[in-house]
Amino acid sequence: MAVRVFIVGVGLISPLGAGFAPNRAALEQGRTGIAPLSLFATPHRAPLPVGEVRDLPRDDGLPRTHVLAGLAAAEALRGARQQPDAVVLGAVTGGMPVTEVLLKDGVGDPRRYRHHANGSVAEYVAGEIGCTGTVLTVSTACSSGTAALKLALEMLRSGRSACALAGGVDALCRMTYYGFNALQLVDPEGARPLDRSRRGMTVAEGAALLLLVACEEPPDHALAELLGAGLSCDAYHPAAPRPDGSGACRAMRDALSDAGVAPSGIDYVHLHGTGTIDNDLAEARALHDLFGERMPHLSSTKGATGHALGAAGALGAAISVMSIGAGLIPASSGCRVPDPEMNLHPVAAPLTAKVDTVLSNAFGFGGNNAALVMGRPGQLPPRREVRRREDNFTILGSACLTGAGNASATLERLREGKPVRGLMPPESMAANLPPRDLRRLKRLSRAVQSLAIAAHGDAAAPAAIASVFFGTGWGPLSEMHDFLVKLFESNEQFTSPTDFVGAVHNAAAGQVAIRFGAQGPNVTMTGGDYSFEQALMGAVLLPPDSGACCLLIAADEDHQVLSRRFDPSAALSDAPSDGGAAFCLGRGRTGRGPRLFPAFLRYAHGDPHAVHAMVEALGGKAAIEARYGAVFAGIPLAQREIGRRQLDGFLLLAGFTGGVVDYRRWTGEYAAASAVAACCAARFVAEGSVPILPGRSSAGPLHGKGILLVGLGDFVTAVGVLP
Amino acid sequence: MEKLIQELKTKIIDTLSLLDTTPEDIDTDAQLVGGQTGLDSIDVLELVMMIEKDYGVKIDNKELGMKVFASVRALAGYIHENRTDIPR
Repeated sequence: MAVRVFIVGVGLISPLGAGFAPNRAALEQGRTGIAPLSLFATPHRAPLPVGEVRDLPRDDGLPRTHVLAGLAAAEALRGARQQPDAVVLGAVTGGMPVTEVLLKDGVGDPRRYRHHANGSVAEYVAGEIGCTGTVLTVSTACSSGTAALKLALEMLRSGRSACALAGGVDALCRMTYYGFNALQLVDPEGARPLDRSRRGMTVAEGAALLLLVACEEPPDHALAELLGAGLSCDAYHPAAPRPDGSGACRAMRDALSDAGVAPSGIDYVHLHGTGTIDNDLAEARALHDLFGERMPHLSSTKGATGHALGAAGALGAAISVMSIGAGLIPASSGCRVPDPEMNLHPVAAPLTAKVDTVLSNAFGFGGNNAALVMGRPGQLPPRREVRRREDNFTILGSACLTGAGNASATLERLREGKPVRGLMPPESMAANLPPRDLRRLKRLSRAVQSLAIAAHGDAAAPAAIASVFFGTGWGPLSEMHDFLVKLFESNEQFTSPTDFVGAVHNAAAGQVAIRFGAQGPNVTMTGGDYSFEQALMGAVLLPPDSGACCLLIAADEDHQVLSRRFDPSAALSDAPSDGGAAFCLGRGRTGRGPRLFPAFLRYAHGDPHAVHAMVEALGGKAAIEARYGAVFAGIPLAQREIGRRQLDGFLLLAGFTGGVVDYRRWTGEYAAASAVAACCAARFVAEGSVPILPGRSSAGPLHGKGILLVGLGDFVTAVGVLP
Repeated sequence: MEKLIQELKTKIIDTLSLLDTTPEDIDTDAQLVGGQTGLDSIDVLELVMMIEKDYGVKIDNKELGMKVFASVRALAGYIHENRTDIPR
């Protein structure tokens, strides 16, 4: 029997109300939640309309993002029969609502920034609901919520999770309010999606979380079935959609084929429909391509809720559940006269109809497109059994950047027994980049482009790059900093649109997609010190077709002001460091290179059993001894004490007697250090020996075995590198 | 006007970090966006901010932007007509 995925709980909070029922009532009545901004003061004579969640409980120092996510999680789990073993959250703004105010006030104390990390929202939710399983944070701009649901779907299908809480969240903040306005993407009259006189979107906030369970038959409390989802990338422009809508169309087609549903089987399309001129046009073209003459009911609810960015796709999923359960097709609020150029007939007033199948879209910066298909529970026959895909990759090429420079400079330094701490030398980052490309790329983006080109170039016979997976703990700090400094220095009058577009966590991955024409999934994961491991998990969940390859990249930049405020390990370190690594990967056994695979990933959060579970997941003592000749341990400086204890526990349980490399002592302290360790491990495994084993003056042989990378601290992770 | 044109060329280079470009490289009458300078829509928005900040001239929609950013001469002309930072 094939595993099917059902939605058994929904938590929803939006400008229309707090809770699934109030949102349903508002949509049934065709109400709007859009009103002039009241959350913070602005120099605009008339504040722009926004989608603000009113009367949100205040929690001292906790960003609105976390509060919204916590409320949605609590509602989704109300009356739940099963405890989630995974949390997959899409988010863009993270702790920005608090961070931007602290930065404006010049606060330097790192403790005040403890909720800044984008990954901290999912960790907060996991902590609130007592989940110590897999926790992933997806940051693909405005498609984040849908991308998170796709990853959760694949985790459930592949047996990595039995019950997952997944969705998206974002909160209003100055960064998005001023940023989208600087891009001239905000409609001063409030979003009028699909209307002929529309002028843009309405920035909003909200959260939607779905409780998903894997079953063979629909459980009696199932609200809907998550039938399938698809992700694609335009590989066209950092902020504008591909005008012909072909990328959006591909995501919809992939979602339908993943669901086993024909276009004619769709009753209602919940549009991305932001209200920007370009998005709505491109989406309309995609719809005509997909549905032709048989256009289903369609509407955008962003004229009612506004555009909740990273939460938008999850809001769409929650509304899809509502639509199937209540037979409600919401109105396309704000659309008075449909744009004749689109030739669409959006639903003008809320409709009651039997809805069995819904397609819901979400598109975002970086050319990210996502779509999902939801159906009435058990209404469709189960899809054919999916063969469990191989969960490992062959490393066809690899590259890294460290304080020493590129991969060969790094390895040379290590062979001399010297550390590779420090900042990536600018000349190493720019060495393989066309000068013209450097103009708009700041530190992190430069590093990522350079790494991608080098890893691809390192592959003996590089195939086409289909997809891109990127992990970053802190994202593009330079752009974020410069954007906010310019904003605050001008008394919130002026900003840099370029920095705004560059400041989204997935900006660099989008640029890589453009460079390589990679039109498959483009997924950025932001899991703090475990972002590389999360990105690798993403790659395994969404592997390229055989014959194609994907790029897996993780990098972080040191920023003079921000790194020591945000990253507690960087704050404790006396040697500012940054770096990253990239891998050109083929699925399964596709070449002679070493293999790379994620063996374990859990948000341990003090759970003493996590290390034990990791040893079990690795096949126990004998398997670990047989497969691995060395352990590379990643212990962030701020988590030294617990990390040491976890490492001792692991070595004891695994009875491991080989060499152990405490690699952050070599790389320095930054979130993506584990990616650099993986790159070095891959090179050492290929060579058959490790030059940096403690207590040895010469290289220690691996005896044909691999290297196990373990990540310790808040998360406990294991990544295998095998010959 | 000629002074404003020269000033704008310098500001365009600075604002957009056109490192390998000198003011002499920018043809006053050549197409500014998508031309040999390689500017795109985000660059235009960056210039919109600079022009509002330095000259008090708002260019707040795409249609107007297309006209105003046709060339450096067109841009200078529009700023000259609408500037509020100095009396004309």
